[in-house]
Amino acid sequence: MTDMELLNWARGPALEWATIIFVVGVLVRFLEMSLLGRKPDLSEARASAAGGGWRTVWRRSIPAPGLVKQAPVVIYAGYAFHIGLLIALLFFAPHILLFKDVFGLSWPALPFFVVDAATVIAIVALLVLLVHRLVNPVRRFLSSWVDYLVWAVTFLPLLTGYLAYHRMILPYTEMLAYHMLSVALLLVVFPFTKLMHTFTIFVSRWYNGAVSGRKGVQL
Amino acid sequence: MSQLSDIPVTVTVLQAGADAAPHGRALLMELENQLRDLVEQGRESSIDLRSLPLSPGDLAFLEQHLGKGEVTAEVSALGPSTVQETAIHGVWWVRHYNSNDEVMAEFLEVTQCPDIIRAHPADVRDSLEDLRARLVELE
Amino acid sequence: MSKRPTVAEHLARQGVSRRAFLKFCAATASMMALPPGMAPAIAEALGQRRRPAVIWLSFQECTGCTESLTRSHSPTIESLIFDVISLDYHHTLQAAAGDAAEHHRERVQEEFAGEYLLIVDGSIPIADGGVYSTIAGMTNLQMLEESAKGAAAIVAVGSCAAFGGIPKANPNPTGAVSVADIIKDKPIINVSGCPPIPVVITGVLAHYLTFGTIPELDKLGRPTAFYGETIHDRCYRRPFYDQGKFAKSFDDAGARNGWCLYELGCKGPTTYNACATTKWNEGTSWPVESGHGCLGCSEPDFWDAGSFYKAVSMPISDLGKLGLAAAAAGAVAGVAVGLHNRHVKAGAKAAHKPLTADELEGDKS
Repeated sequence: MTDMELLNWARGPALEWATIIFVVGVLVRFLEMSLLGRKPDLSEARASAAGGGWRTVWRRSIPAPGLVKQAPVVIYAGYAFHIGLLIALLFFAPHILLFKDVFGLSWPALPFFVVDAATVIAIVALLVLLVHRLVNPVRRFLSSWVDYLVWAVTFLPLLTGYLAYHRMILPYTEMLAYHMLSVALLLVVFPFTKLMHTFTIFVSRWYNGAVSGRKGVQL
Repeated sequence: MSQLSDIPVTVTVLQAGADAAPHGRALLMELENQLRDLVEQGRESSIDLRSLPLSPGDLAFLEQHLGKGEVTAEVSALGPSTVQETAIHGVWWVRHYNSNDEVMAEFLEVTQCPDIIRAHPADVRDSLEDLRARLVELE
Repeated sequence: MSKRPTVAEHLARQGVSRRAFLKFCAATASMMALPPGMAPAIAEALGQRRRPAVIWLSFQECTGCTESLTRSHSPTIESLIFDVISLDYHHTLQAAAGDAAEHHRERVQEEFAGEYLLIVDGSIPIADGGVYSTIAGMTNLQMLEESAKGAAAIVAVGSCAAFGGIPKANPNPTGAVSVADIIKDKPIINVSGCPPIPVVITGVLAHYLTFGTIPELDKLGRPTAFYGETIHDRCYRRPFYDQGKFAKSFDDAGARNGWCLYELGCKGPTTYNACATTKWNEGTSWPVESGHGCLGCSEPDFWDAGSFYKAVSMPISDLGKLGLAAAAAGAVAGVAVGLHNRHVKAGAKAAHKPLTADELEGDKS
């Protein structure tokens, strides 16, 4: 198989199947959760549920001071990774073209050097988090193979994207194909692992906040 | 075969500031290196303009900054060749055309005198024979 | 006939001076993408080489490659090369000669066995016994196998001969394959492109003619002198890519100012060719310079790489539509799973029997 055949396969069938699995998987999991049903709360609300929900969505986005002291690596590297990833994913000009092609929406890109720096930050942060997980016996004990899988499928698109952009190690065509294939792998793994938090995080925060908010408890 | 100039299309080369000649400065610096080698070590060299990804504005930039010198020569050998010394002595703009007047190769040569101008010793030897033969014919 | 004159002798016979020969060599060096200082080495090599016999086979092709080659010759440097090689068979050019041309091909193959250069343009159809393209009663496959036997080397000219090209495009009804798919025991030089740049074809031939060796090749069998770098990396618009300045539509202000054509579908980043330096039409211009993105024609399967106007970062297929269809399927599946879960839950509720503490105590005793 030539590099070009690989790239065509990645841009074609591989992404098609990955998209199907991703969309079906995510929807099934969402509907499964929401159709489980909740017990009706018959008590009189003490405060607004929605207000509590939104407040928690916001409040939990700011790490609690105690937590920063207790787990600084997780907090700092975690934030660095997520922000770096979002910048690389959403503000790299070629990525915006992809979103425009799929969703019909586009927005201005950030300069390449900004995206480049964000990618490096995300890659380094992920490596730090992996080492952190491996070095600490408790964390290592708590980690299952799925955690490492999730780490790997998140790391690979960043790494291959960076290498492709800088024409490193492999010819651009081949590296670009691997980049797209790694994204396809991410999409396939996504619905069935804790990567689902991308969509559920704010829903679950809101839900927790709303339950407490209704009882008049401010989280 | 019709020539490009026969086609009634006017080509305007855009001059959009420094962007139009992204390689111009780098080429001048390379020439500076080569000219220094010629002065200090007598080493001749050249730049193949066809081997570089030049933008439309680059050549214009070079022509403008190298200028026209004292020597202009035309050679007829398998089609014309033009040799133009630039205002920078020792830097020659050499264009080789085929017999259809299409540019085959284009060089900036850094030398006292481009090889294409010089008569080749073997040719000179042959011509000596030739001239002697002509003298014999006259007798 | 087998004692063909050397190139220098041939030129001398035509009254070409050494000065002219030097010019020829300088232009040849430029054409072969060699440093200008190589001209004397070329002169020396050409002085010793004899004119090689050349057989040119055209298979499943559009004659664009031959067109491209002839475009730039008569009577240029390229034609000199054709004076100094002996083009013994080219069926497109010799079609009128019919049988006689075929017999001549056979004679040359015999007389110069192991010495002649075989040039192929077009892909070879192998489906259904190769019936989709025949010449003089022979299938292309038979002719290629027969002619390849005695060849010193094979030059596959054009993307069809090199990679299968447009005849091989999905769904490939004729079973088209490349030369390298069939011939495994001969050195093959792939000169891809649709068509290849004229001076690249002649440059490769000149290299073989001059040095009698196969030039350095990339992993797709293409000479690295011409296919060593991508269009994108050699493009004069490249600085604008790095600055994030993109033309948004053809001939907009950005496009006119030389901004990058990436967003308009330019395949330059994944295409290896020499267009950016050698250019086309006597070095006048090339696709990207005239405002259109690269189609990627020198790469395998360029015809199956999706729209020419989709950027390389975009998927080939319409993932938006596909995603909507998948969403509909996912919604149905999700509701089904949800209902099933409810059913399980209701069943569990119905099967639930309250236990009293006494009953538990009773169990214990």
